[in-house]
Amino acid sequence: MEQVFPFGFPAASARYLTLYVLTLAVHVVFMHYVIAGTGWLAISGILGLGESSLTKTLRDWMPAALSAAITAGVAPLLFVQILYKHAFYTSNLLLFHRWMSILPVLIVGFYLLYVMKSRQINNWPLVARWAVVLLAFGCFAFTGYSWTENHVLSLQKSEWPTVFEQSRTFYGNAEILPRLALWFVGSVPTLGVLVGWQLRHSQNNADEPIAPAPSVVATASLIGLAGSVLFALVYFFMLDGDVRSVVTGRAALLYFLIATVGLAVQGYAWWRQRGDARWDVRWLGLATAGMLITVIGVSVVRECLRIARLDFAALYAEHEAAAGKSGLIVFFVFAVINALAIAWCVRLVCTRRSAVNARVDSGEVT
Amino acid sequence: MDAGPLPYYPINDFGPAMKGMVIGGLGIFHVFIAQFAIGGGMLMCYFQWLAMTGRVPLARKFLDGFFKFLVLVSFVVGALTGVGMWFTTIQISPRTIGMMVDEFHWIWATEWTFFCLEIVAGYTFYRYGSILTDKARLALLGLYSVAAWGSLFWINGILSWQLTPGDWIGSGSLAAGFFNPSFFPSLIFRTIVSMTIAGLAACVVVNLMLELSREEKTTLIQRAARFLMPMVLMPIVGLWFFSVLPEDSRDWVMGGSVAMTMFMTIAVGTSMLIGLYALVGLIGQRLYINGATASLLCALAFAATAGGEFVREGVRKPYTVRQALYSNSLTGEDVARLRQVGSVTHDPYPLENASQYPNEQLKLGAKVFRMQCSVCHTMSATNGLTHLTGTWTMEQKRLNIAQLQRTKSFMPPFAGTPEELEALVQLVTWEHADRPTSWPVSTDTDVLNRIQQWLDDVGTESGLKPGRLLAEAG
Repeated sequence: MEQVFPFGFPAASARYLTLYVLTLAVHVVFMHYVIAGTGWLAISGILGLGESSLTKTLRDWMPAALSAAITAGVAPLLFVQILYKHAFYTSNLLLFHRWMSILPVLIVGFYLLYVMKSRQINNWPLVARWAVVLLAFGCFAFTGYSWTENHVLSLQKSEWPTVFEQSRTFYGNAEILPRLALWFVGSVPTLGVLVGWQLRHSQNNADEPIAPAPSVVATASLIGLAGSVLFALVYFFMLDGDVRSVVTGRAALLYFLIATVGLAVQGYAWWRQRGDARWDVRWLGLATAGMLITVIGVSVVRECLRIARLDFAALYAEHEAAAGKSGLIVFFVFAVINALAIAWCVRLVCTRRSAVNARVDSGEVT
Repeated sequence: MDAGPLPYYPINDFGPAMKGMVIGGLGIFHVFIAQFAIGGGMLMCYFQWLAMTGRVPLARKFLDGFFKFLVLVSFVVGALTGVGMWFTTIQISPRTIGMMVDEFHWIWATEWTFFCLEIVAGYTFYRYGSILTDKARLALLGLYSVAAWGSLFWINGILSWQLTPGDWIGSGSLAAGFFNPSFFPSLIFRTIVSMTIAGLAACVVVNLMLELSREEKTTLIQRAARFLMPMVLMPIVGLWFFSVLPEDSRDWVMGGSVAMTMFMTIAVGTSMLIGLYALVGLIGQRLYINGATASLLCALAFAATAGGEFVREGVRKPYTVRQALYSNSLTGEDVARLRQVGSVTHDPYPLENASQYPNEQLKLGAKVFRMQCSVCHTMSATNGLTHLTGTWTMEQKRLNIAQLQRTKSFMPPFAGTPEELEALVQLVTWEHADRPTSWPVSTDTDVLNRIQQWLDDVGTESGLKPGRLLAEAG
C-alpha cells in the first residue's frame, strides 16, 4: 500500500475495492438510521420521554429505512465476495448457526417495526410497548454484533482451525466490542442528519415552533461524535503496532484526515444547530457534508486495515480473473436507466405531495 | 490453508438433515414468495386499470388492501430470504456460489438495480398511493412490475445456466451462458407460475375482505381468476423445458430416479389440478371460490413449486454447475489431482469429535466423508451411507466407491487415493458394526492395489455418457 487508496493496487482490485467502499458507504448510512433510530426509540420509551415529532418520524419511516438498508447491503455483499471470497466464506462457515440466525432475527425485527408503527400498539400496556421496541433494537444490535464478529474472525486466519474444532457459539475477540461500540455511537450523528432533514421538511408545513427536536437531535449527535472519537481511540490502541501504522500510512492517511475533518465539520454544524429552535438548512447541509466524508473516510480506513491483515496480493489473480468477465456495460446501462426511474418515482411523489399540500393550504380540500 | 491449490473450507455437520434439504427448503419458500411478488405486481397493474377505466371500480378497494398485504409479506420475507439464499449457499457449497458470483457478478449487480427500483416504486405506492392520480398510480405499479419481473429475468439466467450452461462450456461467453438452452422456457414457465400464485393469493385476500358482499367478492374473484388463464400454456412450455434438458437429466425424471419421477409427478399433478379447477370451474362456469378452497389451491401451488424446484435442483446431479463443478464442489481437474495427492492431505480443519474414532484410519475416513460425501449424504440419517451400503460386502464397497460414477451415474467420481478410499470403507463398516471402541487398521497392500486398479480403470471422468457431454460442449 504505497500509494493513496485505491491507486496502489492493480486495476482490477482497485475497481472492486472502489465499488465495495462506495456501496458500503450507502449501506452504512441507512444501517445507521436503523440502529440509532431504534436505539433512540428504546431509550425514549424507557425514560418515558413521550411522543414527539422525532419519535413519530422514526416510527413511521423505520420499516422503509430497514428495507433500504437491506437493499443497499446487497451490493457490498456482492463485491466483498469477489474481493475476499475465501476469508468471507470461511468466517460465515465457522460461525454457522450463529451467523445464519441473523436471518430469522432480522425478519422478527422487521415485523416488529411494523408493529411499532401500527395504531393498535397505542392500546397495549406500557410494558408490552417497551418489549416491542427493545426487542426490535435487540434484533438489529444482534445483527450488528454478528457482522462485526464475522468481520473480525475473517481476519484471524491462524485461528480458523481451532475455532472450527471447538465449535464455539460465539467467537471471542477483544476487538469486537470497541469496534461495535464505534459503529453504534457513530450511527447517532448519521441519524441526526437524516432525521434532521425529515423534520425540517415537516417544519416547512407547520407554523408552530418545533423545538425541542433540533436541539435534542443536535445534542445527541454531538454526544455521538464525542463517543465515536473515544471508541476510535480505544480501538486504535488495541490494534497491533504494525496494523496501527496503516492508519497513518500512505494509502489511508488522506482518508483518515478526511474523516477527521468530517467529524470536525459535523461537530461545528451540530453545535450551531443546537441553539436554534428551528432547523437551519445551513447547519444541516454542513452536517450532511461532514457526515458523508466521514463515512467514506472511515470506510476506506477500515478497508486498509483489513487489507493489511490479509495476504491481499495473493488475491490479485482472482480479482483479475473476475474483471475479465463481461457484463459491466449491461450493469452500467441498467444502473442508469433504473436510477432515472427511481428519481422519477421520487419526483412524482414530491410533486404530488406539494400539490396536495397546496390544496390543503388553500382550503380546497381538508 | 495455502498448502494446495484447492480452496479448503470448514465443512459443517448438519446433523440428521441432508444439506440439500436445508437449501431446498429455504429455496422453495423463497421462490414461492418471490414469484408471488412478481405476479402480484402484474395483478395490481391489471386491477388499477380496471378501477381507473371504470370497468370494476371496486378493484380500487381491493388494490389498496392487497398491496399492503403484498408489502408486508414479500418485501420483508422475500428480501431477507433472498439474502438468506446467498448465505445458505455459502454454508452448503461455498465454491459453487463463488463460481456463480465470479461468472455473473455484473448480472447480479444489474439485478440489484432492478431490486432497488422495485423497492422504491413499491414503497412510494405504499406510502403515497392514496394521494396520487390514477395515471401516476398505474405508472408506479407498472414500474414495480417491470422491476420485479426484471429481477426474475436476470436471476433466471444464472439459475438455468447451472443446469444447461450450453456453449459457455466451450467459449466461456457470458451471453452464451446467460441465454442458455433452458433460459426462455424457464423464464416463461416461471412467469406463468408467478401469475398463478398471484391470482390464487388474490382469491384468498378477497375472501378476507369482510366489508365486501358475496356479489362483490365474486366480481373480484372472476377478475383475479383471469390470471390463471396462462396455465393453459404450461404443458407446452413444460415440454419445451423438458426437451432442452440434458438427456441423462431427462432420463432420471422419466423413471431413472424414482425420487425425481415422484417429485415431477407431484409438480405436474398439482399444477393440473389447479389448472383444471381454474379453467373449468372459475373461468368456464364462473364458480365462486371460498377462502378455504382458495387457500387449498395456494397450498397445491406451493406443492407444485416444491416439486418443480426439487426436480430442477436434482436433475443437475452429479454437478452443481453442469460439466464445470461437481456436487461436492470439485472440478474435473481437481479429481485427477486429488487421486494423486489425496483429497484431505492439505485440509487444515480437524475433526470436530476426533476422539470418538478408535484409530487414525477411521479419522482419515471421517475427513474423506466430510470432504466428498457430506454435501448430499449423512452417515446414518437422511440419505445415510450406512443405509445405502448396508447390504454390500466389504469388496463391493471398495469397488462401488472406487467406480462411483459407474455405480450411479448421478454420483461424482471418487477424488482421492486408495488409502483414503479404504479409510472411508472402514469408516462405513465401523458404523455398520455400531461403532465398537476398537477397530483394526486395514493395511493389506493387495487391497490397496486392487482399489488403485479399479480407480485407474474407471478414470476421472463423469459417469454420464461421454458422447452426450461432448455433444453438449459442442
